[in-house]
Amino acid sequence: MAWLHTWLGLCFGWLLFAIFFTGTLSYFKEELSHWAQPEVPVRAVDTRTALGNAQAYLAQQAAQADTWYIMPPTSRQAALEVMWQAPPGAGSRFISKPLDPASGALVAARDSKGGDFFYRFHYELELNYPFGRWLASAAALVMLIALVSGIITHKKIFKEFFTFRPGKGQRSWLDGHNAVAVLALPFHVMITYSGLVIFMAMLLPVTLMTVYKGEPAGFYQALFPNAFPAPAKGEPGTLVALPDLYDQAQRQWPGARFSRVEVQHPGDQGARVVFYRHGGDRVAYLPGASLAFDGVTGQLIESAIPGDGAMLVAGGFYGLHMGQFAGPVERWLYFVFGLSGTAMVGTGLVLWLTKRQLKHAREARPPFGLRLVATLNLAGMAGLLLAVAGFLTANRLLPVHMVGRAEWEVRVFFLTWLVSLLYAAWRPTRQGWVHQLSVAAVLYAVLPLLGMVTTARGLPQAIAVQDWAIAGVDLTLLGAACMLAWLARKVAVKSATRVAPARVARVAP
Amino acid sequence: MLVAALLCYAGFGCLCLAMERHHQGVLGRKPGRLLQVALRVAAALLWLVALAQVMWAAGWAIGLAQGVGLAMASAGMLVGLLSYWPRLALGLAALAIPGALVAGLA
Repeated sequence: MAWLHTWLGLCFGWLLFAIFFTGTLSYFKEELSHWAQPEVPVRAVDTRTALGNAQAYLAQQAAQADTWYIMPPTSRQAALEVMWQAPPGAGSRFISKPLDPASGALVAARDSKGGDFFYRFHYELELNYPFGRWLASAAALVMLIALVSGIITHKKIFKEFFTFRPGKGQRSWLDGHNAVAVLALPFHVMITYSGLVIFMAMLLPVTLMTVYKGEPAGFYQALFPNAFPAPAKGEPGTLVALPDLYDQAQRQWPGARFSRVEVQHPGDQGARVVFYRHGGDRVAYLPGASLAFDGVTGQLIESAIPGDGAMLVAGGFYGLHMGQFAGPVERWLYFVFGLSGTAMVGTGLVLWLTKRQLKHAREARPPFGLRLVATLNLAGMAGLLLAVAGFLTANRLLPVHMVGRAEWEVRVFFLTWLVSLLYAAWRPTRQGWVHQLSVAAVLYAVLPLLGMVTTARGLPQAIAVQDWAIAGVDLTLLGAACMLAWLARKVAVKSATRVAPARVARVAP
Repeated sequence: MLVAALLCYAGFGCLCLAMERHHQGVLGRKPGRLLQVALRVAAALLWLVALAQVMWAAGWAIGLAQGVGLAMASAGMLVGLLSYWPRLALGLAALAIPGALVAGLA
C-alpha cells in the first residue's frame, strides 16, 4: 500500500498540483475575470433592466441569429453578457459581448480569458476535447487511490490528529503532509469523488446506453427538458418584452436568480424564452431547472426542475464541487481547503525527494532520477506560481487593443512556465527554489502596483468605489507575495545551514 | 455561522484534551479514564449543537456543508495554534463556549 501511495503520488503529483491549484483559483473565477477586465463598470444588480437592455442590443445586432443567450449580471459578475451563434466560417462558434447592464452600451473591455482560463485549465489542461478531460479524470482517479492508500500508509494520522512539530526537517514535512490531509479529509474525498461524478457520462457511458436504450440523447433531454426547441415556424412574430417575462418568472419562483436567459428563434412565431435558474440558489447543481415561456404570447409553457433520485445525488456532488451556493465565508473556506489540497500534494512531492536525497547526501552528483524529480518539483510548484503571475502580469502590461490579446496572455503563461522549467533543469537545488520563489514574490507584489498604473481601477480606487472583487484579488496577491517571500527566506536560511559539513556527516547512514 | 465556528473549535479543544499526549503537554498530568470519556462526549455534543445551529439557520443542505466546512477550518486553526502556543490554543477553546453563548444571544 505504501508503495502504491508513493509511486502513484510521484507520477501524478505535478499534474495533481496544477489541477488542485488552478481549481482553487477557480473558486474566485468571476472575481478574477472582473480583475482581468477592470473596464467593466460595477452597477447595483437590476436583472429586469439588464434584460431589457440585452433585448434591445440583440434585436439590433443579432436579429438573424437562431438563439440568443443572455447572462444577466450577478453580485459576483458585473457585466451583462450576451452571446449568439456566429455565422458559419467566422472562426469561433459564438460571438460574445459584454454590455453595461444599466445602459446596454457595449463595454470596451480588454480581451482576456480571466478566471475562465484557470477554470478550463483545471479540467481540460489546455488539451483538445476529450483528451484533457480524460487526463484530468485519470488524475482524479489516481487521487482517490492515493487518498485511500494514504490513510492506510499513514495510519497514525488519526492518533496524531493534532500533531504538527515545526522546525524538525523531514519530521515536519511528514507532519505537515499528514495534517493538511487529515484536517481537510472530508473536503479532499468530496472534491476528488465529485470530480469523477461530473464526468460520469463521459467515463461510464455504458450505464447511460443501457438506461436510455442506446440513445444517450434521452439523458440530456431528461437533464435539460427545455433545451431542445421545436423548429422555427417561419412566420415572423414579435418577441414579448423580456422584463415582463422576468416579472412572470419571479411570480412563478419568488426570489429566484437566473443565470441565463435563452431566446430560441427570436423574431419567429414559434419563439420561446427559457429562464435558467442560477446554480447558487441551492447546493445541488441541477442545470436544467428552468421556466419556458412562449416568446410571442408570453404564456408559461413549462416549469421544469429535473432532479429526483439519482439526478439529485449527482447534482449534489456536482454542486458541492463547484460551490456556486457559497457566500463569501464559504467561498473563502473552499479556497483555503483547496490550498490545503495543493499543499498536501506539494508536501508529498517534497517528502519523496528529501527522503531519497538524504541517502545520496555524500555523493558529489546525485543520480539522474533524483535530479529529474528535483527539477520537476521546482518547475511544477514554484514554476506554476510563476506562470500564474506571468498570466496576470501579461493582463496588465499587454496593449489593451492588441489583436489576439487573450491568446497572448495564455502564451505568456506557458512561456513563463517553460523558462522556469529550463532554469530548474539548470539549477534544481535549494538555491533554485530561493530564486524562483523570490521572483514570484516580487511579481505578486508588483501586480497591484501595475494595476494602479495601467488601469483606472487600482487598489485604492477599487476600495474607494467599493469594488471588492478587484480589491480582494489585489489584496490576496499582496498576501501571496508575503507568503512566498517568507517561504523563500526560510529555504534560504535552511540551505545556508545545509552547507555546513557537520550536518551532512550527521545524516549520512 | 460564528456561533457554530466557536462551538466546533471548543469541540476539537475537548477532543484534543482527551488525548494523553496533549493533556500532559498542556496540563502536566495524565487524564483519568472517566475524564477522557467525558471530554469525548462533550466534544461530540458541541459538534452536534454546532451542526444543528447552522442547519437550523441555513437549511439542511447548505447547513450541512457549512457545518463540515467550519469543523475542518476550526480543527486546522487549533492545530496551527497548538503547534506554537499550546496553552493559548486551549485557553481560546475554553473561552469559545461563553463566546458562542454571547454571539448566539446577541
